[in-house]
Amino acid sequence: MHSIDPFHVQLLSALLFGLGLVVVLTRRNIFLVLMGVEVMLNAVNLSFVGFSQQLPGAQSLWGQLTPLFTIAIAAAEACVGLAMVICITRGKDTVDSDQFAEMKE
Amino acid sequence: MFHSLDHLLGSAYFTLFALASLLCGGGLLLSKHPINGAIYLIGVMLSLSGIYALLGSPFLGVIQVLVYAGAIMMLVVFVIMVLNQARDHRVPRFDGFSIVGAIFPIALAAMVVKTLAFADASTIDPAAVRGEIAPVAATMFDLTPAGPGYYLLFELIGVLLLVAVVAAVMLAKRHLDSPAAPAAPAEGDHAQH
Repeated sequence: MHSIDPFHVQLLSALLFGLGLVVVLTRRNIFLVLMGVEVMLNAVNLSFVGFSQQLPGAQSLWGQLTPLFTIAIAAAEACVGLAMVICITRGKDTVDSDQFAEMKE
Repeated sequence: MFHSLDHLLGSAYFTLFALASLLCGGGLLLSKHPINGAIYLIGVMLSLSGIYALLGSPFLGVIQVLVYAGAIMMLVVFVIMVLNQARDHRVPRFDGFSIVGAIFPIALAAMVVKTLAFADASTIDPAAVRGEIAPVAATMFDLTPAGPGYYLLFELIGVLLLVAVVAAVMLAKRHLDSPAAPAAPAEGDHAQH
């Protein structure tokens, strides 16, 4: 029944995490930065599920329950993060993350 | 024979979903408008939910579609459309720092892959529990003292979501002392007279 190599799952997870980090670090649009964080969260969830299938018996459920909590935390994070985007965009009328540099001086 | 066919189909579906998620991730990286990026991100989440179902966690796959691709991405798309006046086409996609910034994630992913490749070969346990609704609920709401105690986390997540809603309303309000509705102070004045 199980025909998937666990190494391939972890490989996909690492690649997606790297891709999300590239999006966070390279894009300047503030929405794309938030979406890169979401991709990284998804990659870690996939890693949890992939490793949980290697545990025996009832322990294999524990790794499948943790992503449920991660998804709830991600919902709270998106809620507060988007409210902060609305808050800081109101004064500047831009979504370029390089324009929000007041704390530098 | 059917076993080998199942084997082949599982690998084919996994390859399909993995390629779809990576391609959608690349589209997110190169997208011009954030709305396009949001659509690509939904593609990443849908293909990952397919992989969860293939790996034996169908309930998690359903929650991924409902909460992530449904609720969270709806919020993201809604805010992008609300702030569409903020002329995001002036923002360049990449700048000089981007080339430097791309090196470190690639190095990190390469190190993780190298560590995994040199680790002991791991296999999926055939006795692993398939995460359908009944076993997930039985584990999460296991109230016995010897249980894992996930129900406490469940309650705490509820409090956290409530706090996040209050914080979002406080942050997104235009003025902190403004009334919720324009009619409210008139009624207050009327009551004082």
